[in-house]
Amino acid sequence: MEFHRYIRRLIVLMAAFGWLAAVPAVASASANAAGTGWIRLAHLSPNTPAVDVYLYSFGNPAAQLVLRHVGYGVVSPYEAVAAGEYSVAMRGAGAPATSKPVLSASVDVVAGDAYTVAGLGPESALRLQVLRDDLSAPSGTALVRIIQASLKQHVVTVRYGGQVLASNLAFGSVSSYQPVSPTGAAVKVSGSGADADSAVTLAAGSVHTLVVLDGTSGVQIDNLLDAAGTSKVPAGAAATGLGGTAPHGSSFPLTWLALIAAGVLSALAGGLRLRSLSRHPAYIPRHRA
Amino acid sequence: MLAGRPAAALALAAGLAAMAAGGAGLILTQTHPSTPRWPAAAVLPTPTGPIAARPGPLAGPVAAPVALTIPAIGVRTSLIRLGLTASGALEVPPTAAIAGWYTGSPQPGAIGPAVIAGHIDSRRGPGVFFGLSRLRPGDLVYVRRADQTLVVFRVTLVRTYPKDQFPTGNVYGSTPDPELRLITCGGTFDPQLRSYLNNVIVYASEIT
Repeated sequence: MEFHRYIRRLIVLMAAFGWLAAVPAVASASANAAGTGWIRLAHLSPNTPAVDVYLYSFGNPAAQLVLRHVGYGVVSPYEAVAAGEYSVAMRGAGAPATSKPVLSASVDVVAGDAYTVAGLGPESALRLQVLRDDLSAPSGTALVRIIQASLKQHVVTVRYGGQVLASNLAFGSVSSYQPVSPTGAAVKVSGSGADADSAVTLAAGSVHTLVVLDGTSGVQIDNLLDAAGTSKVPAGAAATGLGGTAPHGSSFPLTWLALIAAGVLSALAGGLRLRSLSRHPAYIPRHRA
Repeated sequence: MLAGRPAAALALAAGLAAMAAGGAGLILTQTHPSTPRWPAAAVLPTPTGPIAARPGPLAGPVAAPVALTIPAIGVRTSLIRLGLTASGALEVPPTAAIAGWYTGSPQPGAIGPAVIAGHIDSRRGPGVFFGLSRLRPGDLVYVRRADQTLVVFRVTLVRTYPKDQFPTGNVYGSTPDPELRLITCGGTFDPQLRSYLNNVIVYASEIT
């Protein structure tokens, strides 16, 4: 008996937590309602020449979006797209649209979700990787992940203040998102060569991807803003009306109808009585007789 | 019951008076809904000016918002700055004639949901967002910034929510693109609470 009650309680608790966990998953009401998601395209392979990047909706041979002459380190803004199957193709810059792509990848876009499709790795082993981007940071924190796209420093460790964001991250790999408390600290990248410091602004409620790139000297950090929210979320609803245009009094005419009905009854009773009094004058004033 | 002639006459007269009063009341109150007390504002011309560039992935600061135009419902207002009240709720403009941008939200045209609130009415008549609930998906919203550039948003969704079920995540939650939220009141006005029971939220995204 005790055991059963315990199990039941456990199930209720699990259900409650499942429900709680499901709440912040709502990314964007408008995107969900409109059935749209987002794709952005990136070239993050240091020794690969510039490319043309094509985005195709599945089954449609005409490209929905073409980005020409995309060089190393370039990341496009997010493109809002209808939910569904897409393919991304990379061709050498200036190659005909009908030529065979160097690389292609397919993306299944879910409404309300965002994706980065990035060319990663060295030219000899270039690949197109589809990354699912996180869009909401836990309250009061910023979410940060690292894309390691530097050949100058093959393996890096990235710190924000005292916090390690990614440890021994190899060239061409991507760390998972981590929550951090924005403190205004610098981001430090350390590898086999010289360390690199970069002032990176991380705001509470926002999601960032830090890309470690080969710079002109040493490494460079690009701070991509994956998503931004509200730094301080207001509590509850908004008091945006004082009622001057609201209908006043009872809008339903019940009181007036009741008054009319009472009037009809009263007048009818009075009228009938008057008539009967005039027809049978002897009848009523019996006490006078 | 109506024993005497005077009592019967009184009942008849009172009844007739009540019928007249009831009829008059009915006519006076029921004619209001058929003729709107406030005419819909005229459609405004599209504002002109340089269109702001969309933010790149390395988002930097953008110029502050100074004015809002919604041609479809005749809204043209300058924008003040709104913060939070002592209790942590969204501050609202001190007058119903003007809308305000919540400074804790991203600036319109930067990545994220910029929040602009305005009153549906004052105690006397319509406010700046009186017609907000008439907006439909596809309608355009223009925000002028301090550098004179225009950010253009397209309405994607118009929803009404009970205030005790305010969709905080949908309104203030993060987005990967520049979006806009317009907030006003709606639904039934509760004279005891001196407050409307619903909020009307317009969701919009910057056009590309």
